Amino acid sequence: MHIFEGFLPSPWWQLWFVFSIPVIMFGMYRLNKLVSERRDLLPLLAVAGAFIFVLSSLKLPSVTGSSSHPTGTGMAAIMFGPAVTAVLGVIVLLYQALFLAHGGLTTLGANVASMGIIGPLAAYLIYKAGMKANINFYVVVFFAATFADWITYVVTSTQLALAFPSQAGGFVGSLQAFLAIFATTQVPLAIMEGALTALIFKYIIQVKSDALVELKVISQETVNKLRGISA
Amino acid sequence: MTKMLDDYALLSPLRYTNNWLKIGVVGFGILMGISSQAPLVPFSIAICMSLATLIFGRVPPKFYLKLLMGPAVFVVFSVIIIAFFFGGGPELFGFNVLDYRLGVNTGGLSMAFLVFSRTLGGMCCLFFLALTTPMVELFSVLKKTRLPDSFIELSMMMYRYIFVFLDVAWCIKHAQTVRLGYHDLRTSLHSMAMLCSTLFLRSWEQGEKTFVAMNARCYDGKMMIFEEKKTGEIFRSCIESGLHGCNRGGMVRF
Repeated sequence: MHIFEGFLPSPWWQLWFVFSIPVIMFGMYRLNKLVSERRDLLPLLAVAGAFIFVLSSLKLPSVTGSSSHPTGTGMAAIMFGPAVTAVLGVIVLLYQALFLAHGGLTTLGANVASMGIIGPLAAYLIYKAGMKANINFYVVVFFAATFADWITYVVTSTQLALAFPSQAGGFVGSLQAFLAIFATTQVPLAIMEGALTALIFKYIIQVKSDALVELKVISQETVNKLRGISA
Repeated sequence: MTKMLDDYALLSPLRYTNNWLKIGVVGFGILMGISSQAPLVPFSIAICMSLATLIFGRVPPKFYLKLLMGPAVFVVFSVIIIAFFFGGGPELFGFNVLDYRLGVNTGGLSMAFLVFSRTLGGMCCLFFLALTTPMVELFSVLKKTRLPDSFIELSMMMYRYIFVFLDVAWCIKHAQTVRLGYHDLRTSLHSMAMLCSTLFLRSWEQGEKTFVAMNARCYDGKMMIFEEKKTGEIFRSCIESGLHGCNRGGMVRF
């Protein structure tokens, strides 16, 4: 969820930049190294970033009648790893602020922290752990994408609660309120995104699995196994 | 197809005014708004910026209002929470929910009002930049900063492909819609997944093709773009924008 321009008061937006900038620097370092090793990756990463942006600008049909858009961060993290996703996330969030009026410039640090760093990291960890435990690929992808989406909202609620602690209960009090409104309403949407991401992977594996094998998302054996099951 | 802010920026009469001037004005407005302790300052910034966008940027007012409604849901929810949970002072009104007292007091209400005005001021500044400065112009600004080349290259290529893929996505979506691909939740989930996976595979192929094409044209990690020099123009654009510059400066000062 995007925090809009001007919403976070003074010490907090700077603090979130302090949190995000080192991670982005590390991501850029990794990116530079990757690109100098394999030059053909740069165009590929560019189209991946554009893909995330387009994905996030598509409206997802929603249960309540209101529409929400997939964040796509879980998927990106599974495909490209969290460090590169952080760099792509910064660019995508900047474009969203400037093209679609989602988010803002001073709140960019906080938004990058929730949507570009922590959410994708959670997805990546869940994905890696799940694959190690030999659970079905689609189930793992479903959980990774669902939690990436949901954790993003939890982080945003935490950011808001830290900036605006309540009179009576302090940070915990307002965290409960923000979580109640943003995190619980997000649960069905997060599940939708998880299902969507799992379906996307299913179609990709059916049509052209080499792309995923080349990105080292899954091994050829897993593809064969999945195809054997679905055939 | 949805119109993006960049489309308006490319046609904007303020497109060719100096980029640094625009960024400076917007940055100043955003920082003033966010650091102010009274709602008056961000509100006046919002009014000035909106007037500048509407009059000098010639943005259709209807479109501008629709843009302002974008953040509304998030802002309204969060502001209500702040009003209920933040600040002290005498209680203005309240009610009991399941033995739990919910009340709005003066401190919370004024904080909510302040946050609302800051967001409004910030969004108006952002809209001004987004609606008058196309990304192409911002790239030349980015190139002057010390960001790594690969980062800027990446954002430039992404910018180009956003439009290519948006086009593909909308074509597929229209085709699916006329075939009743979105008539209920189940089918729309499937259609959406099909759309996204096709888009991914298309973009993957496009990425490979682009690399071949760029390699064939001796790409060595640096894309050269033509950039008009606007250094001499800064004084002219200062005079040109003097009217709204003064206007804005005068309003911001108090």
